[in-house]
Amino acid sequence: MEKNKNRPVYLNLFKIRLPVGGILSILHRATGAFLVLLLPITLYILQRSLQDPAAYAQIAAQVATHVGRVVVLMFVWVFAQHFFSGVRHLLLDIGLGDSKPAARRNAWLAFAASLTVVALTGVCL
Amino acid sequence: MSRVRSAGSAHTGVTEWLLQRVTSLYMGGFVIYAILHLSLSPVRDHAAWKAWFAMGYVRIAWALFLASIMIHAWVGMRSIYLDYLHPLWLRFSVTLLTALGLLALALWAAQILITAAP
Repeated sequence: MEKNKNRPVYLNLFKIRLPVGGILSILHRATGAFLVLLLPITLYILQRSLQDPAAYAQIAAQVATHVGRVVVLMFVWVFAQHFFSGVRHLLLDIGLGDSKPAARRNAWLAFAASLTVVALTGVCL
Repeated sequence: MSRVRSAGSAHTGVTEWLLQRVTSLYMGGFVIYAILHLSLSPVRDHAAWKAWFAMGYVRIAWALFLASIMIHAWVGMRSIYLDYLHPLWLRFSVTLLTALGLLALALWAAQILITAAP
C-alpha cells in the first residue's frame, strides 16, 4: 500500500483546521476555566453588594462607567458562550442535532445566541 | 491492558459525567429564574437587593446554585487536567490545589449567604 505523502507526521496546531464544532468545544473549556478563575472576584462583588448601601452604590457607579460596561459585557459574553455551548452539549447527549450538518449548524447557532445575549445586555444596561 | 487498568480507576467517570449534567441543569434553571425575576422586578438599590436575599427560598436557591458551580468547576477543571497535565506529580498538586480552592470558595459563599439573612 502506498503511503500518502501529504499525511501529517507532526501535530502543528497552526496547520490543523478545526471545524466550527471543534472551535466551540475548545472555547467551552477555555470559557469554563476562565469563569473558574473569575470565581473569587465574582464572590467578592456579591459580598460587597450585600454588605451596605455605600458598597452597593460604589459597585453600581463602577458598572455605569464606560470601562465598567465593557467589563460587564465581556463577562456576559464569556458566560453566555459557555452557557450555549453547554446547552448544545446537553442536546447532543440526548441525540438532538448530532448529525454532521446539524451539529455544524447548531455550533454556529451557539455563537449567534451568545452574541445576541451580549447585544441585548448592551441595550438594557 | 494492565497499563490501562492501573492508569484509570474502573467505575469512576460515570459519577462525574452525571454530576456535570445535573449541576448544569440546575444552574441553567436558576440563571433563567434569576434573569426573569430581575427583569420583572428590577433591583434599583441596596434595600431591594437585600430584600430579595432576605427570603429563605431565595438564599436556598442561591446556595444550591453556588454549590453546583463548585461541583461543576471541580469536574470541568479535573477533565482539563486529565487531558493536558501529564506528569503525575504536577497533575496531583494542581488537582489538590483546585480542590482546596473550590472548597474554600464554597465555605466563603455559604458565609455570604448566611450573613445576608435578615
